[in-house]
Amino acid sequence: MAKSVIPIGPFHPLQEEPEFFTLTVDGEMVVDIDVAIGYNHRGIEKLSEMKTFDQSTFLIERICGICSTSHPFAYTRAVEDIIPVEVPERAKYIRTIIAEGERIHSHLLWLALAGHFLGYNTVYMWVWKLREEILDVMEILSGNRNNYAMFKPGGVRRDIKAEDIPVVAKKIDSIIPTVNRLKKAILDDPVLHARLKGIGILTKEEALDYCALGPTSRASGVAKDVRKDAPYGAYDQVEWDMIVTENGDVWDKAVIRILETYESIKIVKHCLTNLPDGEIDLNIKDIPPGEGIGAHEAPRGETFHYVRSDGTNRPARHKVRAPTFMNLPTCKATVPGYTVSDATIILAAIDPCYCCTERVAVVDTKGKQMYNAQDLIRLSQEKTQSLKRKMGIK
Amino acid sequence: MKLPKVRELLEATKALLVGPYTSKFPKKPHVPHPNFRGQPIYNPDKCVGCLACVSVCPVEALDYEDITDPKNPRRVMIHYTDTCIFCGTCEAACIADNEGIKLSNEWNLAFLDRKQSQESIEKELQLCEICGEPVACKDHLKWIAERVGELSYSNPTLYFSRLKELGVIDENILAASRDYNRSDRMKILCARCRRETTLTTK
Repeated sequence: MAKSVIPIGPFHPLQEEPEFFTLTVDGEMVVDIDVAIGYNHRGIEKLSEMKTFDQSTFLIERICGICSTSHPFAYTRAVEDIIPVEVPERAKYIRTIIAEGERIHSHLLWLALAGHFLGYNTVYMWVWKLREEILDVMEILSGNRNNYAMFKPGGVRRDIKAEDIPVVAKKIDSIIPTVNRLKKAILDDPVLHARLKGIGILTKEEALDYCALGPTSRASGVAKDVRKDAPYGAYDQVEWDMIVTENGDVWDKAVIRILETYESIKIVKHCLTNLPDGEIDLNIKDIPPGEGIGAHEAPRGETFHYVRSDGTNRPARHKVRAPTFMNLPTCKATVPGYTVSDATIILAAIDPCYCCTERVAVVDTKGKQMYNAQDLIRLSQEKTQSLKRKMGIK
Repeated sequence: MKLPKVRELLEATKALLVGPYTSKFPKKPHVPHPNFRGQPIYNPDKCVGCLACVSVCPVEALDYEDITDPKNPRRVMIHYTDTCIFCGTCEAACIADNEGIKLSNEWNLAFLDRKQSQESIEKELQLCEICGEPVACKDHLKWIAERVGELSYSNPTLYFSRLKELGVIDENILAASRDYNRSDRMKILCARCRRETTLTTK
């Protein structure tokens, strides 16, 4: 039977992000899949080198609209790793509260979108309403629904006021019954069982081979979580469980995200009630030459930042690796063998964030890739050499 | 798996009775939480025009312009509301007890003409008495003089600014002080002119 090709992209109709999947199908079965990214290169790493360490935080925050705290968290940890310093206890707790609040709203957002992808719009609207409460909590705590601008190298920018804590705790308590009802509604739904169970299976070996991160790996039985493996912030002072399931299908990925929401609520509540007193900022003045790495368990997996300082007030090199960069290739293992209609939800199950993971790509007008990584490095070096000649520098 | 759809029905009925979660904008004006970070607003009484906010702004939403007209020298502090990301770094860096520029609750910043998307205040500027270049804002010099206290008497620029503000001296006294030996130093000078007058004798 002749094979045909179905393109998804270059703009995903549902996820509203630029990507390009090429599905090779045999009848209704997907036999092969290829993915291309690089439609929305923003040059964040280069821009970051043009701002001071303090100012870069706001740029880094805008890498991702949804996990807007994960990137600054990893970045500030990388900068603190250069010096190296430990941030004050209160700052650690505040950072943890903000990061977990973000995880709640990100997981809820994924849940809503998953419902939307399956044509189950009741869940979509319901969860969207629930998520508003969390966004309101974040507005009270940080001053904005998203892009919290709380992080800075050496601490946090603003304190959590004592009078806000009871209000926030009450709001968080009030969402638990709704989440309970939602959990039961989703886990009991026969349609969702039929659509999600046994679909898009990523085995444990494949998860290890592809270095899958976050909920994608934990659904396949790989107990991998930066918060447990190398505790930072207040994660080692709070009791919480890492959720791991064994099947690796889309259903398990959904279950993991629902259960992690509960864990995050637990962490936020514990941190709010046990918020220690003291300083929130170290007021770091100078960053010595050196290099540092920082990691944070974002809602999608481990976010990794590398920062090199040459002693000036700007980073000399800044490298960002978003979790989707590792999770996206798992589609090679999960999608083939399932139908086209399943491909949508399998691709969405890794909670992809294409823009955050962008790499530069140069293509000609026919869409053929012109340069690979080595070519780009060579081009850049040639440009530097020609500039040096022009300016008379040896 | 008993009656899974009943929960949805319950939630739907509840939603019908309670109504939407969101506020009824634009029928009713939306009131954000007091902690909300809105547009930063300059306070002309507190701001000293030191430009600390301009130098820390991560998106260059703050700018200034020095108008060195000898009749009315002034510094215009400009805030571009279209570029601003409401991060609050300006407020945190403000030297005037964080009150010179403050984030407000104002969120409704829509405009039709991009030229309207800026707000500015004017501060009186102190010009150098020799070269006419700006020294600093008058309020900033007074602020420094108050901070350093008696140490300001080592610097004519500072103590003249302070004494003028207190109304202790006027032009007559200043004219009398210029008859002393180093009368060329008894002036409000910019850093460069002060260095030149101190190191050279004309």
